[in-house]
Formats: sequence, C-alpha cells, structure tokens
Amino acid sequence: MKKFIAPLLIGAALSSSAFAADDSLKQEVEALKAQMAELQSAQSKINIDALKAQVSEIKAHDAGDNIKWNVDFRTAYDYVDYKIQGADKQDNGVWTNKLILGMGAQPADNLVFKGSLAAYKAFGQTNMSSTSYFQGFDWYDSQKPNDSNIRLREAYFLYTGDMGDVHYSASFGRRPSVDGFLANLRNDNENPASPISHNINMEFDGASFKFDFDKVTGISGLYAKLCLGRGFSNTTGAYSMNFSSMGFNPGYVNDDQTPNMDLAGLIVQFFDNGQYKLMGNYFVAKNMMDMNIYGIGGMYMTDPSNPFGSLTAMTPIYNLKDVGDMTGGALSLEVNGIGDGISDFLDDSIFFLSYAFSQTDPNGNSARGIMGTTTYPYMALVDMPGMLGSTDKKFGSSIYTGIQVPGIMKGQRLGLEYNHGSKYWRSFTYGEDTLAGSKLAARGNAYELYYIMPVVGKNLTAQLSYVYIDYAYTGSDTFFGWTGTPMDVDSTPGAVKTAQDLRLSLRYRY
Amino acid sequence: MKKVFGLLVSAFLVLGLMSTSAFADAAKGQKYYLKYMKDGSGMNGAKFATQHTQAEWKALFDGKAEKFVAEYSKKYPGLDGFLKGDKFEKFMPDIRDFCVEFASDSGNVPSC
Repeated sequence: MKKFIAPLLIGAALSSSAFAADDSLKQEVEALKAQMAELQSAQSKINIDALKAQVSEIKAHDAGDNIKWNVDFRTAYDYVDYKIQGADKQDNGVWTNKLILGMGAQPADNLVFKGSLAAYKAFGQTNMSSTSYFQGFDWYDSQKPNDSNIRLREAYFLYTGDMGDVHYSASFGRRPSVDGFLANLRNDNENPASPISHNINMEFDGASFKFDFDKVTGISGLYAKLCLGRGFSNTTGAYSMNFSSMGFNPGYVNDDQTPNMDLAGLIVQFFDNGQYKLMGNYFVAKNMMDMNIYGIGGMYMTDPSNPFGSLTAMTPIYNLKDVGDMTGGALSLEVNGIGDGISDFLDDSIFFLSYAFSQTDPNGNSARGIMGTTTYPYMALVDMPGMLGSTDKKFGSSIYTGIQVPGIMKGQRLGLEYNHGSKYWRSFTYGEDTLAGSKLAARGNAYELYYIMPVVGKNLTAQLSYVYIDYAYTGSDTFFGWTGTPMDVDSTPGAVKTAQDLRLSLRYRY
Repeated sequence: MKKVFGLLVSAFLVLGLMSTSAFADAAKGQKYYLKYMKDGSGMNGAKFATQHTQAEWKALFDGKAEKFVAEYSKKYPGLDGFLKGDKFEKFMPDIRDFCVEFASDSGNVPSC
C-alpha cells in the first residue's frame, strides 16, 4: 500500500510545484513585456532629427574651435641639364622631398586665419647653403630645395566686413604669394594664390585690402585688391658685434648696409563668371637691390697635393645696395571651358593668355661688381652703375600662353605652355617651382609640357613635366643691378644657353 | 641617368593604368556654381554652401536631387531654369560635392 501511495504523493507534490513555476514564468514574461513596452515608448520619444542637429552643431563647433590642418607632400626626381657657352654641358639627377603643412581656422564669421609651414629638401643633403650665398633667401625659402628645417611659408589673418553692398577684407601677415593665378594650372593647385604668377611669384610679408564691387556694379567677380609688401628689411639682428667698442650693438637698428625693399601693387579682377576670368595688376617696387662687393675675403688652405705649399680660397664680402625702383604690370585672361556645350572635351579645356611688362628707374647708385681680368688675381672690383646693366630706364615685356586639356583617362590632365621674355624683361618669379630656375623670368623662349594623373583620386597624384628654356640673354632670374645685365648667350663665355628640367613626381594631399 | 629616368617613366605609365577613376569634383562644382548659379542666388559659393550641414546637403541631393531642386527653385526663382535643365542633371554630382565640401559643419576655412 505504502508502495502505491508514495508515488502518488510525490506526483501531487511535483504537479503543484509545476503550477507554481508556471505562474512565476508568466509573471516574468509580463514584466519583460512591460519593460519592452517602456523601452519602445522611450525610443519613440527620441528625436533623431534633434540628435542629427546636435551632432552637426558639435561638428561646426569643433571646426571653428581648432586649427584645421592639411598635408601636401611631394617626392620628385628632377633631371636638370644645362648647355653652356664655351664649356661642357652640365646635368644632374636630384631627388627631393617637399612638405607643406597647411593651416586654417575661423573663430568668428568675419575672422579667418590661414597659414602654412614647409620644408623642401634634397635627399640626404642639409648643407646646401654652403654652396650658395643666397640659398636661404626669404623670397623663395620654401620653394627651392634646401635643408630639412620647417619654414614659415604663409601666415595671415583676414578680417572681413561689408560697407553697404561692398564686401571687404583686410589682411596682414606672410602673404599667399606663390603659385598664384595661372601657375596653379602647372602646379595642379585648384585654388590659385593671390597674385598673377606671370610677374609675381615669390614669398614676402605685408598686407592686403580687398574690396568686392560685383554687387554695386553688377559685373560678375569684379574686385580690387591693394597689396603692400616688404621684400627686405634693413635691420641688424640681436647682439651684433661692434668692433670699435668690442661690445654689442643695440638690437634691430638700421645697419646702413641694406635697403628696405618695398612693393605696393593693385590687383584687379575685372571679370570672373566661372568661365571667363580677366585679371590685371600694376605695381611700384622701391629700393631694388643688387650685390655690392666691397672686399674679397681670403681663406688660407693647405693644398693636398703639396702639403708644404698653400693656396688661398677667395670669397666676396658684400652687402645689398639700392640701385633704383621698378614698375610693372600684367593683364591675364583665362578661359575655363571653351565654348558652351560644344563637346565635353572643350567644356573641360582651359586656355590662357597673358602679357606683362617691367620698367626700371635707376637712381644713379653704383653697386660694385666683380669682373674677370687677364692678369693676377684675374679679377677686379668695378663700380657698375644703374639697373640691369644700364643707367637708362629700360622696358621689358613678356607673353605667356598655355592650354590644359583632359588626358586619356578620366581625371587626367595634359598641359602645354609657352612664354617669351624680351632683353630687359624682369619678373619677380623667384619662387616659381622649377628646379632649373624660373622659366617665366627667361629672356628668351620657354616651353613646358606636363601630364597629371590621379592615382588614388585627388589624394595621390603623379605628374610628369618637361621644361625647356632657350635663353637669348643672361641675367634672367637674378638681382636688379649689374647681376641682371643682359648679355648675348652666344658670345658670353660661361653663359647658360639652354636649361632643361624633366620632373617626375608623386604627390599626396589630404 | 637615362636608365633611371626610363624606369621612372615606365612606372609612371603603369601607375596611369592602375589609377582609380575620378568621381565628382568639388573644384569643378565651384566653377559650375560660379558660372550657372551665382547670379541666380546672389551670393558667393562659400556663403551658399554654408546654408546647410553636410548631412543636410547629402539628404537634399539624395537620388536625383529632387529635394534640392524643389527647395532652391522656390527659394531662388532665378535658379529655376538652371536647376530644371539638362546642365544641372549633368553637373549635379560636382555641385553636390562642392556644397558638402564647404558645408557649415565641414570645418573648411574659405580663402581670401
């Protein structure tokens, strides 16, 4: 009997506990359902649009709260080749790295800061300045391969506002004055810097004041910009030595050795409707200078082939002397898209034509130059008055034209350029990105062919370019006094007759 | 020297074949804006692009940019002809990229 009743009791007990478990499960499910409903209701109350707006606000705040950086890095191989009058030709292959770190910030709607830091160096070389007196000159500090030092390329602020319908901006700092209008095509830069690069393409410090007249006149893109610059400051540094008192001079005083070189110019964009762009400039440059050699320094050296003998290595001791003023101007037209809808090829082609002139105004000062002689020490220091080798005012001119068309594959570009400069043509294009020297400064003819192609979109591009300069006269890319004297390259021993620069480069931008 | 350059030029040509095809171009968009839209909107491109955030521009240009065309034809009647024409359809991806590139929350700082 016991055997029979015991299983029944156990069964009943289990059955009652199963019912109890069922109830608790139901309760848990109900609780979960309630929680889910609560979550759903909370989720439905979240405003996605409000969140999106909040994220945008944060992005906009962050954007205005920091300096925005960009990188422009290029590795290039340049093959340069020179044909020289009365001597063997010279050539070389040079690898370079060029880094530009761009900066931008806009803390307020009417205030913008822009800047860039740059280093441009040859592979494995940091003492190139020992081969040249002017390697580290301020006019092209970041535009010619030098050492690995990071230099200030641009730094300026823009304060903007409106006077009625005239929008204006005022700016002070180290100017965006290299790779300007037209040079931006060969340099593959979408946005040209401020000047017309046909006659101004160099680094300098100064100010600009721009006024937009398009709204008041109804002429698309019309603006005028007054540019002021100082290309050289007459000042000593700190702790310069005074050899009379054998002490230090006061810091940053006028040293009476070099002039303040100043430039005032007006840039006018007469018209820009996205297809036709016409720009002009006119400038007055004061106190142009040249090397004034007032002594020759000698260095006593041991002759390795004759340890008991000696020789003297000579080096010029010089300052920079004001030789006069210069005026100049340019008028440049760019057609971005030939015709309207004739074909995709023409819509995507760019043509430009530019004319520029320069006029010297010598002040009668003589800078002392060096001249070869037939007797020992085979050189003499000679007073050389005037500008560009002449005491008269000299007029020079240049024309510059080119075309850029779509390449074989989408995104690729093919460009062809030509320029010609007259005997007394003088440009301020020391910062032009050509290793063999400025092609636009040439007194003679220059030709360029280039091909640009995207490798990884616009972030990594490759460029092959070839520049050929056929000089007619010397002194193309030098100072403004005796070093700029034009001499016939066919009859001047040592004159560079032709220069070539074949460049292959890879460029990363982001 | 010639060998080095020959080698490098060969590498350049190979790169050309490997290169990724280019898509829309913000710089071209800026050019088209100046050419076809500036007069109609009465403002420069930088100001125009800051009217919306990047997400808002993307939403407006979604599909065939119907929302953009509807909003901006109404807002700037001078743009109506261009926005409803063939040219806008052709240049739309570039104009879209330009607007997104310089949107109010892009952080891009306009040049002088």
